[in-house]
Amino acid sequence: MIAQLRLLLLVAFRSLWAHRVKSGIVGSILFFGTLLLVAGTSLLDSVSASMERSITGSLTGQIQVYDKNARDDLALFGGMSMGSTDLGEMPEFAKVEKELTAIEGVKAVVPMGVVNAMVMSGNELDLMLDRLRTAHRSGDREGLAQTKAQILGVAANIKEELGYRQAITSDKAKAAEEAAALEDVLSEAFWARLDTDPDGLLAFLDTRLAPLATDGRMYYLRLAGTDLGQFMEVFDRARIVEGTAIPQGKRGVLISHRTYEKLLKNKVAREFDAIKKARDEEGRLIATDNLLADQVARNARQYQRLLFQLDPGPARELTTRLQRYLGSQEADLGKLLQSFLALDDQSFDERYDWFYKEIGPHIRLHDLTVGDVITLRGFTQSGYLKSVNVRVYGTYEFTGLEKADIGTAINLTDLVTFRELYGKMTDAQRAELADIRTSVGVKEVSRESAEDALFGGGAAEAPVTEAVATGFDEFAGVEIARYADGPVLDERTYNAEEMRSGLALNAAVVLDDPTTMPAVKTLIEGQADKLGIQAVDWVSAAGMLGQLMVVVRIVLYVAVSIIFLVALVIINNTMVMATMDRIGEIGTMRAIGAQRSFVMGMFLLETLALGIVAGGAGAAAGVGLIEYLNRVGLPATGADIMVLIFSGPRLYPTWGLSNVGLGLGIIVLVSLIATFYPALLAARVSPRVALSGKE
Amino acid sequence: MTTPIISLENVTKNYALGSTVVTAVSGVSFVIREGEFTAIAGPSGSGKTALRNLIGCIDTASEGVVSVRGHNTAALSDRRLTRLRLDTIGFIFQNFNLINVLTVVQNVEFPLLLAGGLSSSERQERVNTLLAKVGLAQFAKHRPNELSGGQRQRVAIARALVTRPKLVLADEPTANLDSATGTQIIDLMHELNRNEKTTFLFSTHDHRIMDRAERLIQVADGRIASDEQVQR
Repeated sequence: MIAQLRLLLLVAFRSLWAHRVKSGIVGSILFFGTLLLVAGTSLLDSVSASMERSITGSLTGQIQVYDKNARDDLALFGGMSMGSTDLGEMPEFAKVEKELTAIEGVKAVVPMGVVNAMVMSGNELDLMLDRLRTAHRSGDREGLAQTKAQILGVAANIKEELGYRQAITSDKAKAAEEAAALEDVLSEAFWARLDTDPDGLLAFLDTRLAPLATDGRMYYLRLAGTDLGQFMEVFDRARIVEGTAIPQGKRGVLISHRTYEKLLKNKVAREFDAIKKARDEEGRLIATDNLLADQVARNARQYQRLLFQLDPGPARELTTRLQRYLGSQEADLGKLLQSFLALDDQSFDERYDWFYKEIGPHIRLHDLTVGDVITLRGFTQSGYLKSVNVRVYGTYEFTGLEKADIGTAINLTDLVTFRELYGKMTDAQRAELADIRTSVGVKEVSRESAEDALFGGGAAEAPVTEAVATGFDEFAGVEIARYADGPVLDERTYNAEEMRSGLALNAAVVLDDPTTMPAVKTLIEGQADKLGIQAVDWVSAAGMLGQLMVVVRIVLYVAVSIIFLVALVIINNTMVMATMDRIGEIGTMRAIGAQRSFVMGMFLLETLALGIVAGGAGAAAGVGLIEYLNRVGLPATGADIMVLIFSGPRLYPTWGLSNVGLGLGIIVLVSLIATFYPALLAARVSPRVALSGKE
Repeated sequence: MTTPIISLENVTKNYALGSTVVTAVSGVSFVIREGEFTAIAGPSGSGKTALRNLIGCIDTASEGVVSVRGHNTAALSDRRLTRLRLDTIGFIFQNFNLINVLTVVQNVEFPLLLAGGLSSSERQERVNTLLAKVGLAQFAKHRPNELSGGQRQRVAIARALVTRPKLVLADEPTANLDSATGTQIIDLMHELNRNEKTTFLFSTHDHRIMDRAERLIQVADGRIASDEQVQR
């Protein structure tokens, strides 16, 4: 038996060598197939692991829990639906937390709730009029002239825009009035009033010009309310980039750094960044890349975005510095900025640095700047508009997801702010509302007694009209002044109890050991009904980001299947041809007493040997490739989506025995399947062919 | 009288050739006994090849009985027929039919490995003895393509004899050899027949073999035309 096996192996290896071309073809298919499988699944597992670390370490934890009656699925990094989602509510987070932290293996339970809010940036023209007023009051002639030039620039822009608007407007009379006002502002005679009637001039600008200017930009911010102290501690991937963390117990906002740089940044600065990225990371050159050259030209035309933001003092200073820098006699700052921005490959790096050093500090680089108090406006669950003033303490990013739009479209805030925007009142607000109610004389009125209460049932009641009038007077007099300028900034320090107790929409369950996730999830599900919650793993909680990984895996498996199908066909054909070649040899063996099973075994063993040798070499090459990539790192070139998939600028893949085992196993199986039919054909060869064949 | 190895009783073999049935062998009966040196001769299409296949357990009869060592071949499965070939018959082919990827020793050893049951040293001894007997001891490690036609046929003879078969079936063993070599090969087989009592059955139209045969069966049109013992 052993001797026969040795013979089979001998014949197999010798035949493989004798039919080198065939063996070469089949062997290289097996080699590359295994290489692809081992490297591919290793890469995929590495991507999967690094994405898991990025996602679970950023926002989701290993498990997320939320209301079991939720109408939509949880999608923390954004889902397919554009509107707001209904996740239900967990009215008493503390209770959920208490039960879940009692489960073995749970490290922390972090309360969360996502709301959408709008923020308006300031109006440029308003700022200019402020500057004009200041310059006038302080008698700064030059500053006046500078600001006047800025206002004239804006007016000219509006005039151009108005031209388009006039063509389509239905209110011709109003359009004509607006045009007349603009003509006024643009005339020299108008500005002469600066000496004679400055108040009249300022009033005209305030009432007639300012309304024509487009409003400040409106931004939508997706905010995740959470216990920020706990959040920063538990989610090690979150990192403050600018500013500071929000102090314990304070209310505030941390803006996603990518949003800060990509959405809220001054247009010119943003273009500068984009051109730098194109040159440094994508290796494009202004001289050779038309798109990039267009971008530079377009940026030069945007010079007003710098010009209009400069206060008179810095503007004067910048004019001198730019004249020196550019070696120019030009006195007009606008023209100087334009030629500064018209740069080429040689001057780019120097001017980029110069821009951030000399111009950056004098303009508002971001529409919302770290340190600002901003007004968040959101529609609450009950549908009314709610405004909340909070301070922007800083910007943050999730390490590994820095460049991913999908992962960074979320900003962080405290739970109190979240609950206000969501429409839940704090105890303080509830008390305040009760105060207002008492002071205005509003009473809870039941349906049965409504008529009596409203129209007077008893003799003791005052006439209705009187009561209402009194109410209004008191309301206006006592309380409304506090709200006249919109909501105030709440600078109170909340204690942990106040922050954490109450409503949350979902919660991240962070585990001591991530691998225990399925077991812990089952344990949580055991409590789910009692707590009115449901538990999902991080893949589904991540929303589109989680789907992305599923898609990547499907793509790889489809590709692998196609390759194998092709391999199967090629190996099969090659082996059938090889069988035809060896009919004489097979016939001889059969004639001198080899069984069909021997012939079949011989063919299968041949492929098996080839599969193990070529597959083994392929697996080794795959492991080598992964080891190499592990050392140098696989760069996420091109699209930012690659950075997201790699969870960073470079992926350092690792391999495991499971990758090698799976790769080799599949390859051997495929080769055996592919050889089965040819082997069957060979086994059917008649011993007759060995004899002289003179039939 | 020695024991019969092969016996044919009223054997007919029909082949389907397209839609027509060709009768290659028709009502043939004879017996081959141990120690014979017999040639079956006849022109192409005479049924010589069909007869050879029936005796060699490669084909089974359509009618009548072919008995090989008492087994009716038509009643055997392919597996048992193959085993019968391995144990009973040694084949020598016109084209030598050596396995090119194996050395001379390995080629000769091949049937022993298929049969099993012998230790490695027993196999080695048997192979070496046979190689010495056919005069190829010094070529043991060569590959078939390094040998001449005559040498190859000697290897084939050694391979046919290695299992100590009851019958060696030689199919035109000299057809691809020059005349001198052919004569040497015939001498070798004749010697083996005389010294070792090996039974040889040739299927041939080589006159040198027919002249040396001790029994000559002439076949024509699927029937036995003559079957005579030649006294030498």
